[in-house]
Amino acid sequence: MTSVLDISPITRIEGHLDFRVEVDDGKVTDAWATGALFRGFEIMLQGRDPLDALVFVPRICGVCPTSHQIASVKCLEDAFGATPPPNARLVRSILLALENAYSHAAHLYVLFGPDLTNEKYAGHRLFPELVRRFAPFTGSSWLTAVAAKRKLNEAYAVLGGQFPHSNAFVPGGVTCRPTPSDLVRVTGILLEVQDIVERIVLGGSVERWLENRSLTDVQAWLGEGDHADSDLGVFIRIGPELGLHQIGAGPGNFLAYGVYEQADGTPWLKPGFYDGEAHPFEQLHITEHVKHSWYVDYTGGKHPSQGETRPFYTRDGEKYSYAKAPRYLERPAQVGPLARQINDGDALVLDLAKHLGVNAFTRMLARLHEEVRLLAQVRTWLAQLNLREPFYERTPVPPRDATGVGFTEAARGALGHWIQIEGGKIANYQVITPTAWNVSPKDYLGQHGPVEQAVIGTPVSDESNPVEVQHVIRSFDPCLACTVHLIRGKRTVATVTLDA
Amino acid sequence: MPSLIWLQGATDNGCTISFLNADQPDVPQILSKLDVEVVFHPTISPWSGPRALEAIAPYASGERPLDVLVVEGAVQNGPDGTGAFCLVGKRPLKELVVELAPHAGYTVALGTCACFGGIAAANPNPTDATGLQFHHEAMGGLLGPGYRSKAGLPVINVPGCPAHPDWLSKTLGSLLLGMGDLIELDQYNRPKMFYRSVSHWGCPRNEFFEYSCSAQSFGQNGCLYRYLGCQGPDTHADCNRRLWNRQSSKTRVGSPCLGCTEPLFPDAGAGHFFQTEKRLPVPKGAKPLFHVIGKGFDGMACPAWVKEVARD
Repeated sequence: MTSVLDISPITRIEGHLDFRVEVDDGKVTDAWATGALFRGFEIMLQGRDPLDALVFVPRICGVCPTSHQIASVKCLEDAFGATPPPNARLVRSILLALENAYSHAAHLYVLFGPDLTNEKYAGHRLFPELVRRFAPFTGSSWLTAVAAKRKLNEAYAVLGGQFPHSNAFVPGGVTCRPTPSDLVRVTGILLEVQDIVERIVLGGSVERWLENRSLTDVQAWLGEGDHADSDLGVFIRIGPELGLHQIGAGPGNFLAYGVYEQADGTPWLKPGFYDGEAHPFEQLHITEHVKHSWYVDYTGGKHPSQGETRPFYTRDGEKYSYAKAPRYLERPAQVGPLARQINDGDALVLDLAKHLGVNAFTRMLARLHEEVRLLAQVRTWLAQLNLREPFYERTPVPPRDATGVGFTEAARGALGHWIQIEGGKIANYQVITPTAWNVSPKDYLGQHGPVEQAVIGTPVSDESNPVEVQHVIRSFDPCLACTVHLIRGKRTVATVTLDA
Repeated sequence: MPSLIWLQGATDNGCTISFLNADQPDVPQILSKLDVEVVFHPTISPWSGPRALEAIAPYASGERPLDVLVVEGAVQNGPDGTGAFCLVGKRPLKELVVELAPHAGYTVALGTCACFGGIAAANPNPTDATGLQFHHEAMGGLLGPGYRSKAGLPVINVPGCPAHPDWLSKTLGSLLLGMGDLIELDQYNRPKMFYRSVSHWGCPRNEFFEYSCSAQSFGQNGCLYRYLGCQGPDTHADCNRRLWNRQSSKTRVGSPCLGCTEPLFPDAGAGHFFQTEKRLPVPKGAKPLFHVIGKGFDGMACPAWVKEVARD
């Protein structure tokens, strides 16, 4: 028997997402992801001063504003021909790492974790333990995670002024000029966070976890000390019992732009495209499609520098989302911590993917692993700051006409900005967010987006409580606040028709 | 147990992310010790799908009392007046707000978008977005100038991009602890306890403003008002006295204030964020001639060591 389930709204994601799945014989046979919010940043940016982008663009997303700030400031630096000093690169990477670390923590506990306390698992022997830790508003780890999130934002504010929506990022560097006192304070807060992570998440030291380079290592780790009783230990034990390792594969393509510029400008996590083999990343291979999106059609896909977006809402036909469909070499690609770690060649994540496959479980483990790597790495970057050297250098006079690109990675994956400046004003500004990659609808070839693909085939044991589908969707950490669409040319929105 | 429904419109979720940093009381204390029942919040609700919306229904019909309605983000009327740019469970958000607001004990607009339209309604306002009871400086918005919540108050505006967590948590706390009638509102219905002063008050660069010692480029200690687009003297907020994340503020790390709590944000600052126009800026309401002359004399009176630190 075929039935259609509407899961609308999907809560505990960032932003507005609706999901429709077709279920046949207890299994998902088709899926439609609907980005349910259109905000029109592109239209607002046209004709404005290029520096206005630094204020507007981060407000695409209050969850990951730093990633947008870094992408937009790199975009402007590319257009202006400016280079930030090494200290500024490091501060940007430190702030981005602090943002991604809090975002991962919030995802694990506030967004994903509560599903582990779903009534479906009420009969499981570990259920009381899961509720004690992960229940929203009351779970011990839920409460601790909110405190840890606040601390990571506090560390951020020491250098960035505030979180969210610092504006310490300007072409030529950063506005802050930290003193040794500031760096000691950031270190002190990080030590508090590390203490929480070691007590609650790992049940042991960060250093010990980072020694794990294979599934076998993780199994050995699980048998040591208090590791098995930590949140991560419990998750590793229960994930396969709940079947998380059997759902949510998605396409076998993984894209990462490379992120965390080091003092010399090279990225700490390497860029790449992985489809079973590693390929170098080439931005010209990116296109966007709108055949199934609420925009006026064009043929095939367009590179974002040539992108156009004219909203066209209709309940008829094949369109079903405000998200566009980005593709790499005409193929859907997963982005996020898993894609980053795979493209970076991280030994542990590659081994997990090899032995466990790609699924909701490995996706979550990759995020947790990245969290631990980040916390350790921030301390290294703090130590590399040279407080006697500048954090900002004056930029050359901006050209009247220029183009620029800025790539980075948000917590949720690859983020790209493209700017076109004409006569000293913004002529076109394009953004492709990570969630646009992951929750994209079908493209003109009829290929599903990654989350849709990942959901198809998922078993649904109770149609009134499709928690399995929600595990898969949330394992991607979708952020719909981010799915914006960019327009080129006219300043007015095209006529939008609405089916009554 | 007081009930709370939190809806999101055209927002970047920044105000929710900011509110999670609340302290004294923090979010867990607000929920468990002040006994707030969160009927719905899009980011933290345990339930998805129809179940999440069913929870709202008895409050929308007035069957169960709704103590506080919080709306984060602007309400979009587009396209063509349908509100379909923002759908919650296939329904336009604006319908939900219009249904719930008459039953709410208090209605709070959280963030500049919900208060005045904000970024969402920036020129040319492509999605026809507006605030709950204001459109920029004009009273009206979605609910109209005559709207009053059950407690007899207009929409309480808590602007900021994002709003400081205290601005909401202390407002909510006042309502929950029976001090709702003590909250005085300014002309834009912002609680005076947060928005009567300007962010310039408490700025550690005040000495440099005083003596006309201006930073000419980022990274210097001088005042950011003259050359770097700071809007601190005109922006009603207590950022530099309350501090953000218990640590700092924009101007403390050398970033200019953007004026994000004001009804005309962001268009009022557009074109001169991070850069002041050539002419000498004058704080709103100050007498330009006397201000300019005064600043000239102040510059002459400046102690040498202050000048030195400013340039550093």
